[in-house]
Amino acid sequence: MTMKPGPKYSAAVLWTLMILGFALVPVLMSSSYQLNLASHVLVWGLFAVAFNMLWGVTGMLSFGQALYYGLGAYFVGLMVEYLGSAWYLPAIGIGMLAVAATSFLLGLLVIRVGGVYFTMLTLAFGQLAWQITFKWYDFTGGDDGIQGITAPGFLQNPIAYYYFLLVLVMLSMWILKRMAYSPFGLMLRCVRQNPERVRFLGRRVRRNQLRVYIVSSLFAGLAGSLMAGIDNSIHTDMFFWTTSGEVILMSVLGGLNQFFGPFVGAVAIIIIEDIVGAWTEYWSLIIGSLIMGMVILFPKGLVGELHHLKLRMMQLKARRSE
Amino acid sequence: MRNKRLLMCLVIAILAFIVVPFCVNAEDKTIKIGAMYPMTGRAGLYGKDSVAAAEMAIDEINGKGGVAGYKIDATFTDSKVKPAYAVRVAKRYITEDEVDFLFGVVSSGVGLAVTEISQQYKTIFIGTDHASTRLTVDNFQPYYFRVSNNTFQSMTAGALYLKELAETKPWKKIAFIGPDYAYGHSQWDEIRYNLDRFGVEYEVVGEYWPKIYAPDYTSYITSILKDKPDVLISGFWGGDTVAFIKQAQAYGLFEKALYFHPDAGGNYELMSAMGAELPDGLVLGARHYNNWPDTELNRNFVQEFKKRTGRFPTYAAEGAYAGIYAIAHAVEVVGNPDDTEALVKALEGLKIKLPEDPEGFTSYIRPETHQITQVMAIGTTMPNEDFPPAKKMLGNWKIYKAEDLDPPAEYIEMKRKK
Repeated sequence: MTMKPGPKYSAAVLWTLMILGFALVPVLMSSSYQLNLASHVLVWGLFAVAFNMLWGVTGMLSFGQALYYGLGAYFVGLMVEYLGSAWYLPAIGIGMLAVAATSFLLGLLVIRVGGVYFTMLTLAFGQLAWQITFKWYDFTGGDDGIQGITAPGFLQNPIAYYYFLLVLVMLSMWILKRMAYSPFGLMLRCVRQNPERVRFLGRRVRRNQLRVYIVSSLFAGLAGSLMAGIDNSIHTDMFFWTTSGEVILMSVLGGLNQFFGPFVGAVAIIIIEDIVGAWTEYWSLIIGSLIMGMVILFPKGLVGELHHLKLRMMQLKARRSE
Repeated sequence: MRNKRLLMCLVIAILAFIVVPFCVNAEDKTIKIGAMYPMTGRAGLYGKDSVAAAEMAIDEINGKGGVAGYKIDATFTDSKVKPAYAVRVAKRYITEDEVDFLFGVVSSGVGLAVTEISQQYKTIFIGTDHASTRLTVDNFQPYYFRVSNNTFQSMTAGALYLKELAETKPWKKIAFIGPDYAYGHSQWDEIRYNLDRFGVEYEVVGEYWPKIYAPDYTSYITSILKDKPDVLISGFWGGDTVAFIKQAQAYGLFEKALYFHPDAGGNYELMSAMGAELPDGLVLGARHYNNWPDTELNRNFVQEFKKRTGRFPTYAAEGAYAGIYAIAHAVEVVGNPDDTEALVKALEGLKIKLPEDPEGFTSYIRPETHQITQVMAIGTTMPNEDFPPAKKMLGNWKIYKAEDLDPPAEYIEMKRKK
């Protein structure tokens, strides 16, 4: 029996290509800067995909995911600063537990309201966390941030850290993808499309919303804690609303309705920002125009349009063979 | 069809962005400097003045044939005042562009993040315009050098000023107002530390912490009026100073308390923004003045800058100018820009005549902290129309010796132990 290129098969090819592509970066790179760039892409990609579980899949636009991203980062930063770098790995785990607890408690509050109220509430809590970190100078270092965060042992080697990062990010993405296409994921889509009907079918809207809020926050926290080891320094910026805004932009650019859309959006934004920023001080004008152009040309997002194109081609082929 | 053409344009544009940087490879014998400054937003003017002054210094040096056979080549990137972004830029400078020096930075938060990278990659970082004492004391690392004052030096000069003032015009009660972040808080800590150190007696009647970039200070002004300090110490910078002074003037605050602003108050930006509205008798300090010291070097610097840009410089400009000359001096001593350890040694022993040095004094780097040590002057606002659009400038200078301003050894030890 020959293997037909079905959806399962092409997904496996996609995963392999992606993992292989990222795994080869340290081998093919011409300078360690590209490694740094690839690390940023991975972390932001994970953050954006986790965020999209909330927005693209469930329809809950949170403007405060930076809260969990920052929390993850600060758990690692503070524990390494006060207890030593041996605490680096435990801090990632403890940070995730703390994120889960915080998102559970806050989730109970914020998912009681929907739509724009939900967005505003998440924004408010995010800014609250930013303000506390910013002002609590003696403990968090205020706006000076925390520097000198290094991972212990062999992870100090940037290439080792990169592979550690790659494994964790790919594993998380795989979990998220499985979740997005599981019965739970289906339920989340129903919640987005028709919450009334979900209730009529005897399912709970809020409980599912709370679950996905925790899941999304958990992986945002993981992304933040991994970021601490890339730059070796963290800042209150990580809590700021612009950080939440950035993942929203990535999701829009890549395509909301595609699982990998936000990831591609993250790749695009980081690379554009890097090239344009190196080239001109009028970066904001150019990035603005590029993104505007992309949104006008590809209203479904980069991955969305690609998908659309593939469908069109298949239709054309089908029509021709008729 | 139109879509396709647009798409083509876009593809070409993106390709151009990728390809062009590869074509402009610098020639061999260059000293490569990777500079980061904010070019937009509230701190944008500081960045633009720094870039203009750095380019001016580079043109002067290259015009004379460079140093030790090398020409200076600097790249400027917008730091966006975002530490995480600046870290990425710094890493790109080091690993991709292979720069010999990192340079610049206005925000101390960005500076602290970049100094970390400088240490990791053993690349020298010349700080030109961020004032946090932490960079040269608590977070000191061997590859960092700063060529402008830190807040500790300004606050020491400030404390000495207040001590002298007590002899002629007795004061007792002080209050502080400053932006509610690290820069404001460290100024307040440092001035009190120094007042205590000099045995000055004072009573604190209030501390006010408005947010940075706050538009309205009315509530703070009314509480200051209620608390009646003799001296109001201020720690604002940039547009915040202008906004505060404008609003406080309407309440007659400056008749009731002495406005004392030793670190960033005397920046030319304030004089040019307020023109004739600026009250007389405010006591201000800054890292460089357009009308002090009256030396040939300073006059030339200010006039050249004006010729290049059409405006008079803010203090950030002189820091960047000094930074380029510091690099040039170090390379001249070592003979090449590649031997980092020798350059560190050369910079540690650096003596350099700068526009802000009065006759008979030469700025030097203190080896223990890698901090430049300079004479500081504090002045009082008075009419002076030599530097339009400003109608008032500082005068009636009080001068403080460089050696007296540095943090004492026990202070450095205490901070580094933490």
